[in-house]
Amino acid sequence: MKKITSRIWSGIALASAATVVLAGCAAAPTDNATDVPKVDYLACGVSDEGSWQDKSFNQSVYEGLTKSESELGVSIAAAESATPDDFAPNLQSMIDQSCDIIIAVGFNLVDAVNTAASANPTMNFVTVDGWANEGVTNLKPINYAMNQSSYLAGYLAAAQSTTKVVGTYGGMQIPAVTDFMTGFYNGAKAWGTDNATDVTVVGWDPSSEKGDFIGDFTPNSGTSKTIAAGQIEKGADVIFPVGGDQFGAVSEAITESGIDGRMIGVDKDIAAASPEYAQWILTSAEKRMTNAVFDIIKGIAIDGTAFSGDVYLGTLDNGGTALSPITNYTGAAAQADVEAKLAELQAGIVDGSIDPVAVVG
Amino acid sequence: MSTTTEQATTSRVNSAMKEILASGASRAVLSVFLGFVVGALFMVFSNDAFLQSIQYFAAKPGDALGSAWTAIADGYAALFRGSIYNYQAANPVAAFRPITETLRFAGPLIAAALGVALAFRVGLFNIGASGQILFGALWATWISTRVTLPWGIHLIVALLVAILGAAAYGAIVGFLKARTGAHEVIVTIMMNYIAAGILTFFFRTPELLREADGGGTPKSDAPAVTAQLPVLLGPEYTLHWGFVLAIVGVVTYWWIMERSTMGYRFRMVGHNPDAARTAGINVERTFVLAMAVSGAFVGLAAANQALGARAGMTPDIDGTIGFDAITVALLGSSTAPGVLLAGLLFGAFKAGAPAMQAIGLSPEITGVVQGFIVLFIAAPPLVRAIFRLPAPQKTTVVADWWRGIFSRGGAK
Repeated sequence: MKKITSRIWSGIALASAATVVLAGCAAAPTDNATDVPKVDYLACGVSDEGSWQDKSFNQSVYEGLTKSESELGVSIAAAESATPDDFAPNLQSMIDQSCDIIIAVGFNLVDAVNTAASANPTMNFVTVDGWANEGVTNLKPINYAMNQSSYLAGYLAAAQSTTKVVGTYGGMQIPAVTDFMTGFYNGAKAWGTDNATDVTVVGWDPSSEKGDFIGDFTPNSGTSKTIAAGQIEKGADVIFPVGGDQFGAVSEAITESGIDGRMIGVDKDIAAASPEYAQWILTSAEKRMTNAVFDIIKGIAIDGTAFSGDVYLGTLDNGGTALSPITNYTGAAAQADVEAKLAELQAGIVDGSIDPVAVVG
Repeated sequence: MSTTTEQATTSRVNSAMKEILASGASRAVLSVFLGFVVGALFMVFSNDAFLQSIQYFAAKPGDALGSAWTAIADGYAALFRGSIYNYQAANPVAAFRPITETLRFAGPLIAAALGVALAFRVGLFNIGASGQILFGALWATWISTRVTLPWGIHLIVALLVAILGAAAYGAIVGFLKARTGAHEVIVTIMMNYIAAGILTFFFRTPELLREADGGGTPKSDAPAVTAQLPVLLGPEYTLHWGFVLAIVGVVTYWWIMERSTMGYRFRMVGHNPDAARTAGINVERTFVLAMAVSGAFVGLAAANQALGARAGMTPDIDGTIGFDAITVALLGSSTAPGVLLAGLLFGAFKAGAPAMQAIGLSPEITGVVQGFIVLFIAAPPLVRAIFRLPAPQKTTVVADWWRGIFSRGGAK
C-alpha cells in the first residue's frame, strides 16, 4: 500500500516537474497595454438550453457579447443553462452581479426573464425571440422579420430548381419557425408568377397552416432525414430546413437520392460556419443576432443612449436579417440577373410594396 | 488495577478511532475533499492568467503560483456565495438567498435519491427515476391545471397523485422483473423514454395539457395557485414546502428501512435473495413492493418539480434529477442521514454553479467535481491508499456506543 502511494506521489512530482521544465522557460512578459480602453459597463448573457457553442442562436448572442468585450472594452459575464431549472438561478446570479444589461436568449426564458425584470425594475433586460409582458418596461425584445430574407431565399430557390419543386420543413410548428416557411413559400410562388411557371412548394402551406415538422430541434435526427428524403421523393431539389442544424440530415438525403440538390441555411451563414456542408449550400437566411446585441450594448455603453424597452426588429432594411452570399447556383437564368431581381425585391420589401407574408391565392 | 482500566480505555479509544477512520462516512467525506481538489486543478488549468504565467514559470514562479491560488480562491468563493451566503449582496434578504436556493434544489434531489437508495438496499438498480418523475409530474400537472378543487384539498390530491403515479410507474418495473425476469436496469432505461414521450404528447395536445394561449411548443399551464406548494420563507425567496416534504421523506425512509417489517424484508432480499426465499419471504412480491415504494419516494421529487413551479412547465421538467439522484444515493451510501447530507451538497453545487459561471468558470467544473466524488466513492481502496486509512475493522466499539444512545434506557 505504502509503496503504491509513494509511487503515485513520485509520478505526480515527476509530471509537474516536467511541465515546469518544458513549459516554464519563456521569459516573463512586460506589462502589455490593452488596445481598447476599459469601459465601466457589465453586459451579461444567459443561454437557452444548450451551450454557447451551439453553432446557432446561443452562439450568435455570445459572439455579440465577446465582440463588445474586445471592441468596446466592456466587461462581460455569461451563464449557460443546462435545464429549465437553471433559467431563474442564472438570471438571479447576473442580477447579484449588478449587470448593466442582462440578455436572456430564446423564447424558453420568456417567463423567467419577465419575472426577473418586474422584480428588479431598476435593471435592464433584453429578451431574444421573447416578448415583454404588459407593464414590463425594462425588458427589450429582440425580434426578427425572418419572412423577409426567407422570401428572397424562396425566390432564389425557385430560380435554381430544375424540377420547379422546392421543399421546406420546420423543427416545430411555432410562429418563430413558420415565419421563415411562409416567407419562403411566398418567395417561391412569386418566381412562378414572374416567369409564368408553376412552382410547387412541399412541406408547408400557409393558407391551411399544415406542413412537415420534425417535432423537436434535435440536430440531424432520423425523422429530419426521413422528411427531407420524402420531399426529394416528391421532386424537390432545393430544401430549406428551419430547425437549427438539420444540414447533415438534408445533405445525406440529397447524397443518397443521387440528385443534384441544394439546401438553404438558416440563422448563420452556414457555408462559412460549417464548411463541411458548403458544397450543397445555395445561400442562408441569416438572423444576425451578433449585430443586434453589439449595437444595443454599443448604443448604451459607448454612445450613451438611454435604455428603452422598445422592440428591436431585425429587418432587411436595418440589416438584422439578410441573405448570405449565393454559392453553387446553377439555375437557368444567369446569376447576375437573379441577383439584380433579388435586389429589386429587397427594395420592394423595404418600402412596403411587397408583403412577404401575404396569403397568396 | 488502574493500569488495566487505563489500558482497556486506550485500546477502546484506539479501536474507536480506527473504526471511524475505516468507516464509509469518513471515506465519503474524504472523497468529497478529493473531488474538490480535482475541481481546483481544473480551475487552475483552465485559468488564462495561470496558463500565461506558467510559460515563464522559471523566470517568475510567483506569478504562476499566485494566479493558481487566485483561480482556486475565486472559484470556491463564488461557489460559497452562490450556495451558502452572498457576502457581496446589497441587502440581507439577497445575502441569505443562496442558502434557500440550495435547500430548494436539494429537495427533489433528496427525495429522488431516497427512492434510488431504497432500491439499492433491495439489490435493485433503479435508473428510472427520471421516468418516474415525469410520470408522477404528468398526473400532478393534470390535477393542478385541469381540476378545480378547494384550497388545501387541491394540493393534497395533487401530491398524492404525483406519489401514486410515480409509484405505479415503478411498480410496473418490479412486476416485469418478478414475472418475467426482465432486468430492471434495461426496463427502467426504456421506460424513461416512454415517460418522456407520453409527457410530451400530453403537453403538446391542446385537448390534454397544452397551455391555453400557447404558441405551439409543448408546454403546460402554470399550476393553479391552490395546488402550488406554498413558499416557506415569505415571498422574497422561492424556497417552498417541497423541501419539508423531502425531510419528511428522509424520516419515513429511516423508519421504513430501520424499524418496519417491510424494511427488514427489503434488506434481507437485498443481502441474499435465496436465503430470504428459504426463510419464507416472497421475493417476487418484495421486488414489486420495493419498486413501488422506491417510485413513491421519487414521486415526492415529481411533486417538488410540478407543484413547486410558478410558470408553465416543459417536458424536461425532470431536469437532471433522475441521474443526479443515483449519485446522491451512492454518496449517501443509501442511508437516510447520508442521503440527506449528500443531497444538500449536490443542491449546493446546483445553486452555486451560476455564480461560478458568472465569474467566467466553465459550468462543467461542478459536474467534474461531482463525477470525481462518485469515482472516489466507488473505489474505496484508492481513497484508503491516498489517506493511508486502516482497512475495515471487525470491532464494533462505535456501533455499540451509538446503539446504546439510541436504544431505550440511554447509554450504558
